[in-house]
Amino acid sequence: MSEHKKILEYDVLVIGGGIAGGECSLNLANLGFKVLLVEKDLTIGGKMIMLSKVFPTLDCSACITTPKVSEIARHPNITIFTGSEAVKVTKLAEHNFEAVVIKQPRYVNVEDCTGCQLCEEACPVSVSDQYQYGLVGRKAAYIPCSIASPRAAAIDIDNCTLCGACERVCPTNCIDFTQTEEEYLVKVKSVVVATGFNLFDPLKIPRYGYGKFKNVITSMQMERQLAPTRPYNTILRPGDGKMPDNIAYVLCTGSRDKSIGNPICSQVCCMYSIKQAQLLMGALPMADVTIYYLHIRAFGKGFNEFYAQARGMGVEFIKGKIGKITEKENGNLLLRYEDIEEGKVKEAEHDMVVLSVGLLANSEVSESFTNKELELDQFNFVQQTDMLANPSKTSIDGVFVAGTASAPMDIPDSILSGGAASAQTISYLKQVTEK
Amino acid sequence: MKQDQSKKSDNIQQAKTSVSPVREDSKVAYKKRIGVYVCHCGGNISDYVDVEKVRQVVENEEGVFLAKTTMFACADSNQKEMVEDIVTQKLDGVVVASCSPKLHLLTFRAVTERAGLNKYNYVHANIREQVSWAHSDNKQGATEKAIRIVRSAIAKVRRSQALEPIKVEAVRTVAVIGAGVAGMKAAVKLAKSGVLVYLIEREFFVGGRVAQWDNLCISDETGKELITRLYDDILSHKNITLFTGAEVVEKSGSIGNFSLKVKITPRYIRMQCNKGELQKAIDVCPVEVPDKFNFNITKRKAIYHNYPGEYPQLPAIDIENCTRCGECEKVCSSIDFNQKPEYLDIRAGSILLATGFDPYEPKKGEFGYGEIDNVVTLPQFKRIVHYCNGDKLQFKGRNIHNIAYIYCVGSRQVNGENKYCSRYCCTSNIYTAIDAKKRFKDINNFHFNRGIRTYGKQEILYDESSRLGDIYLQSFEDNPPEVKVVDGKTVVSINDILTQDKKLEVEADLVVLVTGMVPRKDNSIGNLLKVPRGRDKFFNEIHMKLRPVETVIDGITIAGAGQGPKNIVESMTSALAAATKSFTIVASGELALEPTIAKVSKDDCEWCGKCDDACPYDAFTPKEIDGKTVAVVNKSVCKGCGMCLPVCPSNAIQLTGLSDDEVESMIDALMEN
Ligand SMILES: Cc1cc2nc3c(=O)[nH]c(=O)nc-3n(C[C@H](O)[C@H](O)[C@H](O)COP(=O)(O)OP(=O)(O)OC[C@H]3O[C@@H](n4cnc5c(N)ncnc54)[C@H](O)[C@@H]3O)c2cc1C
Ligand SMILES: Cc1cc2nc3c(=O)[nH]c(=O)nc-3n(C[C@H](O)[C@H](O)[C@H](O)COP(=O)(O)OP(=O)(O)OC[C@H]3O[C@@H](n4cnc5c(N)ncnc54)[C@H](O)[C@@H]3O)c2cc1C
Ligand code: SF4
Ligand code: SF4
Ligand code: SF4
Repeated sequence: MSEHKKILEYDVLVIGGGIAGGECSLNLANLGFKVLLVEKDLTIGGKMIMLSKVFPTLDCSACITTPKVSEIARHPNITIFTGSEAVKVTKLAEHNFEAVVIKQPRYVNVEDCTGCQLCEEACPVSVSDQYQYGLVGRKAAYIPCSIASPRAAAIDIDNCTLCGACERVCPTNCIDFTQTEEEYLVKVKSVVVATGFNLFDPLKIPRYGYGKFKNVITSMQMERQLAPTRPYNTILRPGDGKMPDNIAYVLCTGSRDKSIGNPICSQVCCMYSIKQAQLLMGALPMADVTIYYLHIRAFGKGFNEFYAQARGMGVEFIKGKIGKITEKENGNLLLRYEDIEEGKVKEAEHDMVVLSVGLLANSEVSESFTNKELELDQFNFVQQTDMLANPSKTSIDGVFVAGTASAPMDIPDSILSGGAASAQTISYLKQVTEK
Repeated sequence: MKQDQSKKSDNIQQAKTSVSPVREDSKVAYKKRIGVYVCHCGGNISDYVDVEKVRQVVENEEGVFLAKTTMFACADSNQKEMVEDIVTQKLDGVVVASCSPKLHLLTFRAVTERAGLNKYNYVHANIREQVSWAHSDNKQGATEKAIRIVRSAIAKVRRSQALEPIKVEAVRTVAVIGAGVAGMKAAVKLAKSGVLVYLIEREFFVGGRVAQWDNLCISDETGKELITRLYDDILSHKNITLFTGAEVVEKSGSIGNFSLKVKITPRYIRMQCNKGELQKAIDVCPVEVPDKFNFNITKRKAIYHNYPGEYPQLPAIDIENCTRCGECEKVCSSIDFNQKPEYLDIRAGSILLATGFDPYEPKKGEFGYGEIDNVVTLPQFKRIVHYCNGDKLQFKGRNIHNIAYIYCVGSRQVNGENKYCSRYCCTSNIYTAIDAKKRFKDINNFHFNRGIRTYGKQEILYDESSRLGDIYLQSFEDNPPEVKVVDGKTVVSINDILTQDKKLEVEADLVVLVTGMVPRKDNSIGNLLKVPRGRDKFFNEIHMKLRPVETVIDGITIAGAGQGPKNIVESMTSALAAATKSFTIVASGELALEPTIAKVSKDDCEWCGKCDDACPYDAFTPKEIDGKTVAVVNKSVCKGCGMCLPVCPSNAIQLTGLSDDEVESMIDALMEN
């Protein structure tokens, strides 16, 4: 770690560059405030940029996210640090925060990288691609995804063998193995926490066989298979590359389940599963899709109509609780479930199972707040301390919360929440000028 | 504009080999160096349109200097490349063939601008919504159509000119319509951000629906406490002017400068009043009418307030029901029947619409409503719970033990119009049922539902109610429960899918219809402001996913339950988001508007008024110029919609950026073989 920290000054530090943090940053920047957007990942855009289409409009997610992302990326009032984290945030006084931000080396000069992908071709190392949620591999020298912002290569140093192949082919000589971690001291007047959510890890429910049975995948993996930037250009069973024709969805995986410690509903998984079912019916016209559910939470604008549309298209809905999934020799899966309507335990065979995983709190950022506690609620989401009247307010004055960092929610609600956080940040900042 | 085909490709060849400007050829009327980008849109386009073929064909069009395909035209990397092309290749016209201009016209205009090229030299061709998605069954036909559409965009860009935006003043004031929680919150936030706010409430008291609810989920606060907090905030801000009993009756102008006429209905009570005398006046008033505030379960006088301690703390006289008997005047010196409605003219740079919702009113006979006397709605039930003191829940003098709640009344209708789910009601009802069970003795709750939707953290309430022993019975939409009177008892029956469709019956002391939210019956304000409504009849946002608080009417934002069912947190959140958008419009005091608007030729115009009739925005006014009356366009009102063009008998109107010449050339290009 370098000794002398670089000191930077902004009006607002926004932590997390998903759609909520992005919307909030844009609102602030459009009003002339200087924003530092710190994103842990190599690209901004959060989960939304990885989605296929969005319910209930079926807009292509990449198409509606990229313009937003590029607006953020080129806004003169927004500075973006990707691959960075705010490791320590201290409130010195009202309107006076200090944050230590650490930028991990990318080993690529982003300004010079043209995204030509020659390094990718040259690199001999293959590892699982986290941006495709493990469906395919990527190289150690790689561009996170085709719509990443910045669209520049990065070296995954943990897997890199330092063979130097990428360096030799790079036409602009932008690969730089001498880069080191950079530490910044950032002075701001206000902070917005928009660190989003974590996906539930279905390995925690061994009876569903995720990780053991190849044709049991998560909904995020299905999102990737359905996205325009999809890895296979069609829908395939990971087990044998066969096109599935009888797909099951298991709702509430990791939600509404006290046994795994998450009693609440994740608010979006019913709807995204219904969306995926509709997209699957379009992509694989002969396929059957069955959704095993407890209750369908089709509550928002246009949702119930969207649910009705899915039923009209022939998606089958079974009110049932999944007990156990077992694998047959041919890779097909047997689902044992309690059919609630008939009050019987039944068994059904499907050739692919999608686990509709829930949205869990991503609260690790609270540990960065040192001298004042950023309180969490009983589910580990950032506590909204005056939920009804000031929904973005947290336990620390001047620190606001946006998007799924405070509760599970869909994209429009995340955008509204980002808008609300910017409104509350603005009036907090205005207090300085009034003084 | 027919050109010899071989000549054209010669030109291109020349252009490709020499980088200097080539168009010395005098036969070419429009000398442009055009760049064309054809987008795959992942596969959204290229799965159904041969984009490479499109590129190859249009590459040879006159004026086209370079033609490329791209995976995502909108991606940052491609935008960078376009900027580079425009600068290094000295392009002066750009076409992107991609998705709908609704999504990305502005994106690519901004690209040309960043490259130093006036953004009106950019033309958008829609080959996704208009081509690939519409003709997914015919790749060849789709490709041909795409080629024509791109050609016509090229024809237009050949004639494009640099235009400058129209600068107008933005009044640094926002008019917030509706003082429910959403409107109040937005007003406070805007005032704190430093702009002036007019808060216009139709009723005599603020708070909207929330004033009617006592205990609120998910909070320890009551509705009254929350309203008090917001009202105190409003009072503490000199930037906010609150009008009650006020309604917007006229609107003109547009973004940056709206003019509103506000009608203020008198209270017939003087501001400086004597509180004690007023109470006497209420006591002596002989008129009794159903109290709307309590959803007609109680009565009130013609001189009234909603509840003790509401805001503003000044009663009002309901003049429609007042008989002018004069009894109140005898005991109270503050009554003044000479007050007249007032009309105020106000100006605002932006309007924030927060007029809320109506609870669904069941039809007579719907689950026994209006026919069986112990069938009430959830709003009524909340007032009943509010008025019951002690540990017994009573209604019409009878003790209540068994309560049957019937969900989704007026929502998720199979035969009716309301297909949507009202979002708030499962949670609010479960909360109220728990509240009743905790406060009163011997309450048994039976929930006749269609699948409980306590989404998100609200799930814990559902869990709690189950733990408290509440009984849940479920049916599907098309087989709802029935309410009947059997031997003088009210009985609710259901085929319960949770117990293998067994027919179950509950004898209920009270039946609560969990009624949903519907749009305000009176949509006069929506009609006046021309804010469109969606298929659910709530106000519609411009983009459901990305722009949830803006409307197609520039300068008008929407917040709260008027946009669609919402609970308080969601209403507040949307109010804050809308406040930010409205603030952004007025903050700098100046706005740049589209120059692509109608232009009237003085010489050709013979004022006939037809354009004025055709214009949906009232942009035309007759004016004397050089001794003759001609139509003049209000630049900040005209949207460039073009409705006036075809009706003008003397063809005196042209649209800047869409002139006859441009449009005809586009049509020619579309027809060309
Ligand atoms: C399978 C699936 C399908 C979905 N489909 C839809 C849909 O069709 N329609 C819809 O409306 N919604 C959908 N959603 C929900 C949608 O993804 C969320 O509403 C949205 O992504 C929330 O945005 P956010 O900005 O709050 O969080 P995120 O997208 O999680 O963004 C948070 C960002 O913060 C960064 N971050 C986290 N911690 C730190 C830290 N300590 N420091 C710096 N940065 C940090 C993360 O890297 C990330 O970029 C879906 C969700 C899933 C899981
Ligand atoms: C029975 C019931 C119980 C509820 N319980 C809860 C709960 O416990 N917790 C919770 O979070 N939410 C609850 N809600 C939801 C809550 O009531 C709404 O979220 C909230 O009222 C929405 O606020 P609003 O400001 O958008 O609309 P409203 O409350 O409807 O306010 C709109 C205001 O605009 C005014 N107005 C209308 N038209 C005009 C016009 N043309 N000109 C000027 N003014 C106009 C109205 O008079 C009103 O004052 C409940 C709803 C119901 C029906
Ligand atoms: S140096 Fe590392 S990143 Fe580069 S090619 Fe070799 S293994 Fe891949
Ligand atoms: S949204 Fe649906 S699938 Fe997700 S937790 Fe809630 S009920 Fe389960
Ligand atoms: S919230 Fe519940 S009661 Fe209300 S319409 Fe939706 S499902 Fe029915």
